[in-house]
Amino acid sequence: MTDVKSRIDQLRGEFDFSFTEPARSHDVEHVELLAIRAGGRPYAIRLSQTSGLHPDRPVTALPGPLPSLLGLAGFAGTAVPIYDLAALLGHPVSERPRWLVLATGRPPLGLAFHELDGHVRVDAAAIVGEQDGGQGPVRGMVALPGGTRPIIDVPAARAAVHTLTGHDHGTEHGADEETRP
Amino acid sequence: MGEVRDPLRYFRVEARELVDQISAGVLDLDQQHGPDLVARLLRFAHTLKGAARVVRQQEIAEHAHAFEELLVPHRTEPGPLAADEMRELLRLNDEMAQRVDALTPAPEPAATPSEPVPLVPEELEKPPERAATADLDDLLDAIGETNARIAPLRESGGTLARLNRDVDRLADGLRSGRLAAADAACRTAVQRVAGDLGALGRRFTDAVDQIERELDEVRGRAEGLRLVPAGTIFTALHRAVRDAADAEGKRVRFTGTGGDVRMGPHLLNQVSGAFLHVVRNAVVHGIEPEPHRLAAGKPAEGTITVEVVRRGRWASFRCVDDGRGFDLAALRRAAQSRGLLPPGVAEPEPQELIDLVLGGGISTSPAVTDVAGRGIGMDVVRDVAVQLHGDVHLRSTPGRGATVELVVPLTLLSMNGLIVEAGGMVATVPLDAVRRCVRLTAEETAGALATGRLAHEGRVVPFLALSRTLALGPAVPEDGGAGVAVVLTADDDTVAVGVDRLSGTTTLVARPLPDLAPAAAVIGSVAIDVEGNPRLVLDPHGLIAECRRDQATTGAAPEKPAPPLPVLVVDDSLTTRMLERSILESAGYEVDLAASAEEGLEKAAARAYGLFLTDIDMPGKDGFAFVTETRADPATGHVPAILVSSRASAEDRQRGAAAGAAAYVVKGEFNQEELLAHIRRLILR
Repeated sequence: MTDVKSRIDQLRGEFDFSFTEPARSHDVEHVELLAIRAGGRPYAIRLSQTSGLHPDRPVTALPGPLPSLLGLAGFAGTAVPIYDLAALLGHPVSERPRWLVLATGRPPLGLAFHELDGHVRVDAAAIVGEQDGGQGPVRGMVALPGGTRPIIDVPAARAAVHTLTGHDHGTEHGADEETRP
Repeated sequence: MGEVRDPLRYFRVEARELVDQISAGVLDLDQQHGPDLVARLLRFAHTLKGAARVVRQQEIAEHAHAFEELLVPHRTEPGPLAADEMRELLRLNDEMAQRVDALTPAPEPAATPSEPVPLVPEELEKPPERAATADLDDLLDAIGETNARIAPLRESGGTLARLNRDVDRLADGLRSGRLAAADAACRTAVQRVAGDLGALGRRFTDAVDQIERELDEVRGRAEGLRLVPAGTIFTALHRAVRDAADAEGKRVRFTGTGGDVRMGPHLLNQVSGAFLHVVRNAVVHGIEPEPHRLAAGKPAEGTITVEVVRRGRWASFRCVDDGRGFDLAALRRAAQSRGLLPPGVAEPEPQELIDLVLGGGISTSPAVTDVAGRGIGMDVVRDVAVQLHGDVHLRSTPGRGATVELVVPLTLLSMNGLIVEAGGMVATVPLDAVRRCVRLTAEETAGALATGRLAHEGRVVPFLALSRTLALGPAVPEDGGAGVAVVLTADDDTVAVGVDRLSGTTTLVARPLPDLAPAAAVIGSVAIDVEGNPRLVLDPHGLIAECRRDQATTGAAPEKPAPPLPVLVVDDSLTTRMLERSILESAGYEVDLAASAEEGLEKAAARAYGLFLTDIDMPGKDGFAFVTETRADPATGHVPAILVSSRASAEDRQRGAAAGAAAYVVKGEFNQEELLAHIRRLILR
């Protein structure tokens, strides 16, 4: 019983204390991240650069020239191409990834990865940028409990796919205010 | 009530149809004078005049009357109309068309498109063409046939009620002790009921099967109504050619081919708008003035042909003229003056210069005229191509003519598909390309895999194992896995595709593959299944091309015998015609249909057939007469005829043989294999 009581007291205290803090803006000071694993390695993705997270979505294999193109998945009557993030990052393709995120922007694009470690909110200051934008889809690093993770920039991953497929109709980003931290 | 509120409701429909017919007829008359055509035009104008008077559309009636007055003297005169008379006819035609158009209530203003479309003429705004009456008639016929199939079910309902009463009586008898189960009378009664129930069950199954087939036909025809024949744009193009030629003082003949190809009305409207510019350009820039043509040894009259062809998921619109071709020297000058060809740069290839035209802003016309100039036409074509995700190609042979081709994807293509499984993957094959499915023994599969060939209907066709073609990455399955060969035809080529199994047919709407998804050429499009997951649709053309590539690596392609000549099916029942057609087409034959012996004789005289397949009992002449008459005609006497009838008597078979029929198939015992065996044995090549 005392456990419960102390827990309630603690929650109440936190609740009351929250009013004493100045109002803060999540967007400016905090960044929402998905901690993921692709090809056995830890990465992070900015939540604001994605428009949906889906586990175990059926993907119809599409035979073709690109090994990183896993196939097509159906979203609201539209077939969306799904690319293997591990392959885009240059890791050897092992088993089929379980998770996928839809990338913001057009044309529709899904990026698949193997494991989801969690959803975290970090102080913007915890993100370390890179001077020249870095190489490939990786832009910057973030220190998280358990180690520092490279951040996969979704627009950069999209640009890589556009290059692979020779798609030259321009890259239209969605929310890209965070592409250059 | 509708008529009271809107007295013009039916007039609008009728008048639009008549005006369309008049517009096409006037242009035909311009190219080829004939008393029949004049009479037909007079009939249309007269009908329009009458109908317009009834609904008090005085102006339309007056114009129709003037149109008639102008034509009446030409009913008997053999010569063509004078140029000013022709112009007046066209003017009256336009007046009537405008007034009929004005009767249509204005639609709600559409939202402004987000992308401004430059220089697109108002033709694009025209509403989609209405479905042709003949299509509606076909649909109604198919619905009628389906309805007719309900009648046997109703009768069966009566039989069922009678059986119910019989069983009740029997049960009463047994309960009251009047009947004992061991009695002979009881046994007979039970046996009779059991027999009747069996027969009834079979009748039910037959009727349901037939209704299912008919409904499929209805669905297909209804879907077809959403699409419009490409030929509906020919009249507007013809008129544009005519008007441009008139303004330029040239004589130009217009021909349209491939008018039967069907596609979405929206796409057709956009293409039509662009092609108005293309044909006008062809008249102004391409076709030379008469003296030049004569000096070059060409006919005085120029020719512009618009060809429409469907290739799988693509439609090609081609405008071919027999004019002077692109003026390369003028193009070079124009390009240089616009700085597109910096001086000192190596001489561009002719095709490079021609492709510059697509860039826009270049015209070879020395002067900007009412109808062409400034290179605007090509801008519009290019814009339409971009909007529709298509391509434009220009070709030119100096002195011989030029070709402008617009190839656009048919975005939505409703089709029936055959679902196949191969190497653990499910895909759909467009059913209209499937000729036949053949089960293969393990031995046949191994042979086909080893040689890349399969013997089919007396010829050797190339064989392709789908699992190998679809294999992801380098991992090719050990076993080709082919258990069924799906025989496909496209581009006049036949190929057998080996799959593990068939898992049914489906109706689907195929869409182009999305952006960012490059795929093997054998995959044509994608459809979303009932569970919302994408399903791949194979492209028969891609499969054939893949097969050719395969053949090129494994040896020369097998020799192709001459294809069989088409089969003419004569039967007054729509169901039988469609059933026989589907059987024959599945086996790879081309089929023409006739609904009566008279129509059959007419068709037989007009085309070379490899075989006649005719019913016996038909209104008018019967099948025996059809066979006798075709035997007597030296032009058709050698074409074998097969009688297909529900009459099974020996006497009828003898009559058939005496008339000269090569085979006799009884409908009740209708056996697809037997029929096809006869046809394979008899058909002429």
